[in-house]
Amino acid sequence: MATATASTNPSASASTPSASASTLASASASASASASFAFPREYHFPAFYTRQTNLTTLHAQRTKWSALILAYARHHRIFRLALSSAADTDLFFNRRLDRRLNADDIRDVVDFMRKDGRAEYVGGGSSGDVVFLFWRKPDEWAGLVETYVDQSGQKGSVLTVYELVEGDGTKGTDIHGMDTEVLLKALNVIVKRGKAQIFGQDDSLGVKFF
Amino acid sequence: MFLKSIDLTTALRPSYLPDEVLLFVRDNVGLYEGKSKLRDQQNGQVYLTSHRICYVDQKEPRKRSVALDLKDVDRHEFYAGFLKSSPKVTLVPKPLKRGSYHTRVLSSVSSSPRSVPGSPGHSEGAYRPPADPPTATAATWVCTICSFSNPVPSNFDPTAANAHTPLPPCLACGIKPTLSHVLKAAISNANNRPSPSPAISTSSPLALRSGPSDPQSMSESQGDLLTSQLGDMSIGGLNGTNGKGASFECPRCTFSNHPSLNSCEMCGASLVSRDIPTSVQQDSMSDATRAESPGPVKDQSKGQNDMPENIKLSFRGGGGPIFYERLKGSMTQRKWLLHNAPPAPKTNRMLNESNGNGSPGSPSGGRAKTAGIAGLEQLGLNMRKNNEILIGSAFEDLEALMASAKDVIALAERFARQTNNGQDSATAEENAILAESASQLGLITTKDIVGGGSSESLYLSELSRNLAEFLTDDSRGVLKKAGGIITLVDLWAMFNRARGGVELVSPMDFEKAARLWSKLKLPVRLRTFRSGVMVVQSRDRTDSTTVKTLLSWLQDLHEFPPDRDVPWDWQVFGRGVTAQEAAERFGWSLGVAEEELMMAEERGALCREEGLEGLKFWVNYIDDGDTAKVKGKVRKEHDQIMSALKHSGLL
Repeated sequence: MATATASTNPSASASTPSASASTLASASASASASASFAFPREYHFPAFYTRQTNLTTLHAQRTKWSALILAYARHHRIFRLALSSAADTDLFFNRRLDRRLNADDIRDVVDFMRKDGRAEYVGGGSSGDVVFLFWRKPDEWAGLVETYVDQSGQKGSVLTVYELVEGDGTKGTDIHGMDTEVLLKALNVIVKRGKAQIFGQDDSLGVKFF
Repeated sequence: MFLKSIDLTTALRPSYLPDEVLLFVRDNVGLYEGKSKLRDQQNGQVYLTSHRICYVDQKEPRKRSVALDLKDVDRHEFYAGFLKSSPKVTLVPKPLKRGSYHTRVLSSVSSSPRSVPGSPGHSEGAYRPPADPPTATAATWVCTICSFSNPVPSNFDPTAANAHTPLPPCLACGIKPTLSHVLKAAISNANNRPSPSPAISTSSPLALRSGPSDPQSMSESQGDLLTSQLGDMSIGGLNGTNGKGASFECPRCTFSNHPSLNSCEMCGASLVSRDIPTSVQQDSMSDATRAESPGPVKDQSKGQNDMPENIKLSFRGGGGPIFYERLKGSMTQRKWLLHNAPPAPKTNRMLNESNGNGSPGSPSGGRAKTAGIAGLEQLGLNMRKNNEILIGSAFEDLEALMASAKDVIALAERFARQTNNGQDSATAEENAILAESASQLGLITTKDIVGGGSSESLYLSELSRNLAEFLTDDSRGVLKKAGGIITLVDLWAMFNRARGGVELVSPMDFEKAARLWSKLKLPVRLRTFRSGVMVVQSRDRTDSTTVKTLLSWLQDLHEFPPDRDVPWDWQVFGRGVTAQEAAERFGWSLGVAEEELMMAEERGALCREEGLEGLKFWVNYIDDGDTAKVKGKVRKEHDQIMSALKHSGLL
């Protein structure tokens, strides 16, 4: 299933392309690529863009937004989201309905996701413009990396972070093209488990698995 | 029956007859029949109207409420209360002319533990005809067998007696007399002549007390009746033994009897005289049955007395004197007669004119002369003249005004209707309410009616009932017109307007009265929205039913396409609605619509959308609802497949 042959109607397409088909790494997705993402039903519901006053409904609304953002990020392999610029993307702006989620509400959802462990501000803290989106949580990534190392028989050997992200060995896996910082968070989890060790400096970080 | 069960309105007040006017209301009232309490009617409200006295029970108003017509009341007495006994108003019914005493005698025999030994048969059923004071010597008949002088049964009515009237047997020998014999005795007594003693005189002291059975004999119509007065003084008849001082001389045989006896020991003649002041009688009665004491309770299982000797209202919460004052007033006015009263007296002038000009009322010759438009005009002219005379004569003096009150009110209503004719419907509606208020004057609760502000709570509860009636009145349809819900402020304005500018209710009282609805279990309820707005709606309309109606309306919007093109899939989501639209749809006021939508949102049935077009409400597709919907869709698809398979003959 090719991404180039997308229909113009976002709601009509129900196809779920495999993760490997997409190589997009940033939020600036092309129109044709975003068309292939199947938005959930709520995306086309006008009231979905208004912050609800009923607490139960509000919780459901946040949950659904959170799910939508993560699914969107997973589809487009977005690891970092710049909130100010993302407000104008399809994710938060439904051009057909002419409804958008305003900046305050986006931050509200992000805060909700942070509590859930699904997002984190870049640089830490409780504010900022760019957030990490953990459509896989760091320990999930850690598990993924471990299995990769296991399966490729590289236990005991030393790998550089660059190798993991850009190297040919990880091609075809989700690790390929990962955000470096997210990968580092994952590797740190492995280190804490006592199954790896990180060494080296900023640019040339290496990791040894045991 | 003297006491009749009555219909109650939705607000558990007696429903009034036409022209009936409420005069007084009092709560905490108990009923007595004779000296016994009526077990089921010991705590209720008493409504005195121009026509009736209604008792509405507190606990089981629908079952136990009774009323008695004032026209059936012969005499009324007031007892001011003594020590612990509450003030009481005694009502004595008018005698009924009927022939069936069977049940009465039976019941009195069965329930006569307090009756005098000498006359077990007829102490209870006796009532005193009040118009003519009872004679000291009651009528007696002399037994043809044993020559014992028996008293004629107190309830024996010569005019109504016939072959089926049960007659008690001789007290001494137990032989039943013939009807003609007793009749003769009664008549001769009525003529104030000593009854002739029959020849045969054998004394056989057989105390055979067989129950009354069917008598034989013929029927005869007679003159006035005179009943013996037994039983009213029965208290103390059993225990009085030590009295030495005053003795009662039998008016017939001159035997000196013990004062506590009420029939002669020798000849059995009644000893109750009219000299005994009524207050004494009443004191003795009410001493035995004060409110707090567990006085004798009437046993209703043992046959109902068709005609009780009297009915007493015991005012345990006070208010007796005012009640009695008003009762006296309405007994004097006798409004129930007015119901069939002739129209206002026409003056001679009027009669002359109507004869001369041929008024519409009289089919005299003058009418034939004027036909067509001229005739119609003449007719109108006559009518106006008639009205003029009526109004003029009405104000001549108060007497005349009262006499023609009915006509004047009718006239006023007609004027009100006429002024409506040329105007738009909105004001016409208002005027109609105003005009109606004239006829409603009798039904309103005022502080005066409940006894001069002595009891604030009674006034409020009456006002509360009054309001509930006003709301549920189908002819007015106050609630219906407002879409089943109305703000308290609007209702207050409407209610006071309907009162026609008199006896206006203060907002404080109004709110307090409205708060009583739930306590009084009335069919309307007061609801306070989160914003503090208070609204009134009928009891059966709860929040969940409102939500249901809202949802079904929104569901309809899935079926009907919106007025203009919308970017979303309206078949899936329907359409958002504003408070304005909801108000129009359900006839609510805007504030109410807003509150109802908020309430539905609060319950999670709706969700909101704030946009350029203002606040809109949608069916809540955000929260969970969709999973159920998806399931429903799946099931529907499944059903479709199944039916298709069945259709094609595969299943």
